[in-house]
Amino acid sequence: METIINFIGHFHPVLVHLPIGILLFAILMQLISQWEKFNQLTNALPFAYLLGAISAVFSCLTGLALANNGDYDADLIFKHQWLGISVALFSLTGYYFIKNNRTVYLKWLSYLLLLLIIITGHLGGTLTHGVGYLTIGVSKEEGGLIKNDNPIITNAQEALVYKDIIQPILKDKCYGCHSAIKQKGKLRLDEKEWILKGGEDGIIIHAGEAMTSTIYKNILLDPVDEQHMPPKGKPQITDQERMLLEWWINTGASFDKKVKELPQTNSIPNILLALQNNNVNKIEVLSIPKKEVAPADEKAVNGLRNKGVTVVNVAINSNYLNANFITLSHTSDTIHDLIRDIKENLVWIKMPGMQFTDALSEAIAGCTSLTRLSINNARISDEQLSKLNSLNELQYLNLVNTKITLAGLLKLTNLKKLNQLYLGQTSITAEGLNKIKSVFPNVKVDFGNYQIEKLITDTQLVKAPEKISVKITEKK
Amino acid sequence: MSKRSNKNIIQEANLETSHQITRKYFFKECFSGIGAMALGSMVGGCDWLGSKDRFDQFGNSNPLMAQAPHFIGKAKSVIYLHMAGAPSQLELFDYKPELLKLDGQDCPQSLLEGKKFAFIRGVPKMLGPQAIFKQRGQSGAWISDNLPHLATVADEISFLKAVQTDQFNHGPAQLLMHTGSARLGRPSIGAWATYGLGSENSNLPGFVVLTSGGNNPDAGKSVWGNGFLPSVYQGVQCRSEGDPVLFLKDPAGIDRDLRKASIDAINEANQLTYNEFKDPETIARMAQYEMAFKMQISVPDVMNINDEPAYIHEMYGTEPGTTSFANNVLLARKLVEKGVRFVQLFDWGWDSHGTDVKNAVDIGLVNKCRSIDKPITALLLDLKQRGLLDETLVVWGGEFGRTPMQENRDGKTLPFKGRDHHTEAFTTWMAGGGIKQGTSFGETDEIGYSAINGKVTAHDMQATILNQLGFDHEKLVYPFQGRSFRLTDVHGRVINEIIA
Repeated sequence: METIINFIGHFHPVLVHLPIGILLFAILMQLISQWEKFNQLTNALPFAYLLGAISAVFSCLTGLALANNGDYDADLIFKHQWLGISVALFSLTGYYFIKNNRTVYLKWLSYLLLLLIIITGHLGGTLTHGVGYLTIGVSKEEGGLIKNDNPIITNAQEALVYKDIIQPILKDKCYGCHSAIKQKGKLRLDEKEWILKGGEDGIIIHAGEAMTSTIYKNILLDPVDEQHMPPKGKPQITDQERMLLEWWINTGASFDKKVKELPQTNSIPNILLALQNNNVNKIEVLSIPKKEVAPADEKAVNGLRNKGVTVVNVAINSNYLNANFITLSHTSDTIHDLIRDIKENLVWIKMPGMQFTDALSEAIAGCTSLTRLSINNARISDEQLSKLNSLNELQYLNLVNTKITLAGLLKLTNLKKLNQLYLGQTSITAEGLNKIKSVFPNVKVDFGNYQIEKLITDTQLVKAPEKISVKITEKK
Repeated sequence: MSKRSNKNIIQEANLETSHQITRKYFFKECFSGIGAMALGSMVGGCDWLGSKDRFDQFGNSNPLMAQAPHFIGKAKSVIYLHMAGAPSQLELFDYKPELLKLDGQDCPQSLLEGKKFAFIRGVPKMLGPQAIFKQRGQSGAWISDNLPHLATVADEISFLKAVQTDQFNHGPAQLLMHTGSARLGRPSIGAWATYGLGSENSNLPGFVVLTSGGNNPDAGKSVWGNGFLPSVYQGVQCRSEGDPVLFLKDPAGIDRDLRKASIDAINEANQLTYNEFKDPETIARMAQYEMAFKMQISVPDVMNINDEPAYIHEMYGTEPGTTSFANNVLLARKLVEKGVRFVQLFDWGWDSHGTDVKNAVDIGLVNKCRSIDKPITALLLDLKQRGLLDETLVVWGGEFGRTPMQENRDGKTLPFKGRDHHTEAFTTWMAGGGIKQGTSFGETDEIGYSAINGKVTAHDMQATILNQLGFDHEKLVYPFQGRSFRLTDVHGRVINEIIA
């Protein structure tokens, strides 16, 4: 009996569209039939209302069957259920009014019915897709299903194992069906109490034994298995997440301990470290400014290309440009003018080995969107470099093998966003690091000059032991 | 009357026969026949209707012009270091202390049942790790003493410990790794990358190949071929000894202006042909003439490591004038620095079967390791100090792994310790180019026989490489023979776990 009811319930999501469609159409017909021209539509109204009412009744019946398996938020179900039933009743009443020519009542009833259908439909949508489903992906702020406010882990060993590591996984992969929004299988995973309580099939976690804990076993099941979690088609638990869950349960499923208090075996330290790397010190490589820009002047772009410069959009959907001057060793006024024509669009420039002039520096200084500038091996003076102080979006600056001095570099006081600075083969050494940091607060400096230790084994070859080589000669 | 009419009929028949073999008729037939064949090959061979847009956007002139990727990629170029022959993961990165305990014991039947090996027959013995392992750097990556220098830069690298393939012979496995298919005919990953991105330096090819170790890879030149892509995208193999490219110098009596004039004339004729037939191969041919002309100047410069400072030679362990992996690695850095998109290195001689001292896992393999350890470490550090590591993706790997069992070719004990080809689990790594620093993804069982989690395939690696360059591997396609082909065919998953 239970299975039959469940089966019937599964028709609800299909059937609900009938009353919505038919009744909306009926109301529409009723509205336009007030016009002389469409008067004859009035004759269709009883049929439309009756059909709508009948389909609404069936929707209600299947809906009650679906609610029976109890995977939904009770409060929402209550509202949706009674509003749905009222839709069915009001549409029947509407049919009655038409049959008895109560036209005035019918008009007011149709407005009310319209409102009811909209609200009931929205609640139904919320039940299926979760709270705030309308605004997901539309507004970037609140309103998403689950807010991504996962804690940033600066040091994995100091992190709280449940709050910082396990809960974010559950939030990402499980809350959609097992939290305040929905309680599929009567299970909630959003609070310690609920997790320990388990679902309709009982306890889900046996502390210390991942292999007997339902929550872990269901993750391990084959993805096509009905019990597999998260269900097919939903974002899956990754291998690392699975291993973290296993480790958490096996070490006692603690809700308050720190990572370092738990024994860590096999790959766990690596996975933890990966989490940490993921969130801090993340340097945005090859980044572009957030604000949009108009397409670049095509004539200027082609002009530069004809001069041998590679100019290309950073991506097909972006108007920002990447320019590589590698084939040029010096520039001309024509080139400076062309650079000025697309100064808003240029974000990455490479000019290795370039002979700088004051005019070239001034042209580059106008490219205020610039985030990356490589002028390694360039012949540039401190004076010419200081003109680039206007590039306040700059994040990457490559000065390898130039004659720039520390004093010259420190004049670039406006480059607060700089996070990568390459100073190999310059006169600037690590001694100047503090001064550099005071001017560029977020910078990571590379002074180059890496050495590789000399080892005897580098050039020595291993030979076969004497005995074996004898054996070989015998063979030959 | 009857006689006469018979004669007429015979005459008529003879006339009809000669009609069919007259010169004019022969040519007439011939032309339409050959014409139809040519048309067929053009229509079927290269879908110029489908790819027309792409060639029009080059202004019909330069298929190697730089192109924008689908999204902002983290890497601009790739250096792919392929150890042809397949290095043993069990002596380099995949530390298995349990295997040591089983050393010398018979391999359990459960590991052999239903499995096929290239050379192992009957019941082989297990072979413990033939190297000393330590955990390195902050990340604690296991790297053996065979690679002492690489161990110092472990924190730059993301290891893939559970790579799988379905090919246990070198040729097909290498093809799978580089073209996405174990059979011939598909474009290589470097060709795809160049097709997608073009070249940042109009004077150099977008895709350069360098080989070392005494042999080309078993799969031959198809591993850097262009497949059905226009041939301008194929890898340009440079010689690492003598002239990098043959016939770069103008012959005596021909000066550069004359050469330029002759190329211009040839290309003018080619342009007319292209206007008539719209075959992209014509464009490719024109671009190659132009490129060859430019390369006469640019290549001798970039392919010359003599002028590198002494500290660089010391760092890489390079000796100018020889053919070595070290020299090729230094060249790779120079090429990437100059804007070459994809540099593919093949080093031959990693096939550690144990049939010979050169391929013993405890002798020959160690020596191979010594020949790559310093150069690769130098490459990572040198790219870093030049500010290039964050935009250059370095990939290292072989075509498959090696068995935890000792090889017993034809059921006999071999003179040296070696391992057979193994498809179920091996290690590769990536570094730079927006890859996470100091991580390891995937795990094998206690003896390194099979992958137990974090499995990845050649297609996954390819999808990841394309992703780092800014491409959705499912959208970088080329229409050919009526359907859109892509590098990863119908497979491939970007390995997000190792992306920063």
